[in-house]
Amino acid sequence: MTSKLGLLLRLAVIRPRFAIGYLIVITMTLLAIFAPVIAPYSPTEADSASFLQPPSAAHLFGTDNVGMDIFSRSIYAPRIDLTIAILGTLLSAVVGSSIGAVVGFYSSGRGIRVWLSFAIMRAADVLQAFPVFVFAIALVASLGQSIQTVVLAIAFVNAPIYLRLMRSQVLTIRSMRYVEASQVNGLSDMQTIMRHVIPNAMAPVLAQLSVNIGWGILLTAALSFVGAGVRAPTPEWGSMIAMGFQNVVTGQWWPSMFPGAMLAITVFGFSLVGASIEVVADPAKRRQLLSEARERTARTADAPVREG
Amino acid sequence: MRILAYLAKRLVFVIPQLLGIVLVSFLLVKSIPGDPAVLMLGPTATPSAIAALREQLGLDQPLYMQFLIYVRNLLHGDLGTSWQTTRPVLEDLLQRFPATLELVTFSLLLAILVGVTLGVYAARNPRGWVARVSDLYGLSAGALPDFWFALVLIFVFYTVLGWAPAPLGRIDMIVIPPIPVTGILTIDALLAGDPEAFWSACSHLALPVLTLGLLNAGPILKITQSTMETMLESDFSRYEVLCGVPQNLVVRHALRNALPSIVTIISVLYGFLIGGAVLVEIVFSWGGAGQYAVQGVLNSDIYPVLGFVLFSAIFSLIVYIAVDLVYFLLDPRISN
Repeated sequence: MTSKLGLLLRLAVIRPRFAIGYLIVITMTLLAIFAPVIAPYSPTEADSASFLQPPSAAHLFGTDNVGMDIFSRSIYAPRIDLTIAILGTLLSAVVGSSIGAVVGFYSSGRGIRVWLSFAIMRAADVLQAFPVFVFAIALVASLGQSIQTVVLAIAFVNAPIYLRLMRSQVLTIRSMRYVEASQVNGLSDMQTIMRHVIPNAMAPVLAQLSVNIGWGILLTAALSFVGAGVRAPTPEWGSMIAMGFQNVVTGQWWPSMFPGAMLAITVFGFSLVGASIEVVADPAKRRQLLSEARERTARTADAPVREG
Repeated sequence: MRILAYLAKRLVFVIPQLLGIVLVSFLLVKSIPGDPAVLMLGPTATPSAIAALREQLGLDQPLYMQFLIYVRNLLHGDLGTSWQTTRPVLEDLLQRFPATLELVTFSLLLAILVGVTLGVYAARNPRGWVARVSDLYGLSAGALPDFWFALVLIFVFYTVLGWAPAPLGRIDMIVIPPIPVTGILTIDALLAGDPEAFWSACSHLALPVLTLGLLNAGPILKITQSTMETMLESDFSRYEVLCGVPQNLVVRHALRNALPSIVTIISVLYGFLIGGAVLVEIVFSWGGAGQYAVQGVLNSDIYPVLGFVLFSAIFSLIVYIAVDLVYFLLDPRISN
């Protein structure tokens, strides 16, 4: 695992854009943690005397239509958005990929398990045939609008992705010698799956995680934008964009533009991190990048670069 | 014949899936809290009036009976009634679905134009600046929230520059809409020979199409680029290069062979956009089908939601089948 981390760091040097991705994700995480220290104003208290003020030294990002400080709200927002997206994504990854591993393991042969795998895959087909946003909003509406149900909705719409990803991985791994060896040695199916199949199938799942956290943030913001996610005084990027909607049309751009830009930068950061993990997880891409790096280092110094 | 056999096989798989979709969405929207009878009659209704309406709507029946009644009505072309518009859902959807379809189709065309062009250029020169730009474009386009990007465009092109019309619907209020034939305003205006309505519809389409088209070009770009790179490195392209075939022609042949993958991603995107355009519809008060469904969810009006899910599922299905037919045309090897 440490060599993988070293590799990630080396990639950040080769491809500056990956470094930018890490920087964005780290910054947003730090903002979320230290928001109370950094924020100059309360994120939920309005100063009704100064509403819709343009950006100034007193209010870096200006104030919204009820007089709340947009800068303070924008840096409190990742607390909600990141937490929801990370929890939702992790939940879908754990549930989706464990089901996917079992389904992949039992998807040939005969007996009730095969039929069950088949049924689960068809159920996943049905779930994925839904229009994502309408599905998510209906889920939140039927479970009752709260932060927990937004997490559940994200987990639910993403779970089929992990199910498929893990299943296709397991289908190739299942026929490997080491799987047979562990079965010959008397391990049960579940033990084999847990100890040998899942660890060897994890790489693409990890690459997908970061990308999905980005999508989770977008979905959270979208739900809040139509009023079905996080409710108004709680600082959240999507609901802030919605609050400033009318003002943008009449010319006061700041209530919507700043939170939207923060949101876009954050999602961008997570996609960059996802792209870098994808490179590390894909041996062909990794080799290409490392050979590129070797060429470069060979030109500047004679120090050899060891393969990670 | 092969094609017909294929279609029959496809339909056999599809009908259970459609039933599954109807069942899941039925259970889902039925569990949305809020009694339609109470909402329809308003807060002043007497309990006996509510009970009478519940009985009339079949709400007093057990859930499985309600589902069977819904499916039976579906088979008769009755998708239920929306209590918000007090009209049959089928009528509402037939009016709104073309609006969504128009928006989504034009957006997809823009996305194809941007994605395929950039993808082909990037593949021709994988270390050039176009490749770098398109790489970054692919990553950042997927990161921008469409409802926010739409607002940025509205601010720049409506509020500041005044080039675009106000984001309120599909046509100017003062322009008389053309007689609906297809429900697609640009086509209807052309059919009616009404240039003013056509121009108005086009100008209202501009910003939402720009939003959806630019932000959804990423996947098309990525697939075009990677497939084209593979094709240009494959033996037939190298052979052509060795024979001295001009580069433009080599690229054209490679593109011809890359088309099946590109068509696949386009079809997936088409199906996705029908539901995925919802937020942009809301921002521009488009009055489309997705917006109708979201209003339904937010107001415990369940039949519009069910109708929309069904419509978009059937639409995706038609697109996928059409694409499979396109494969038969594109790749003669499949039909053998």
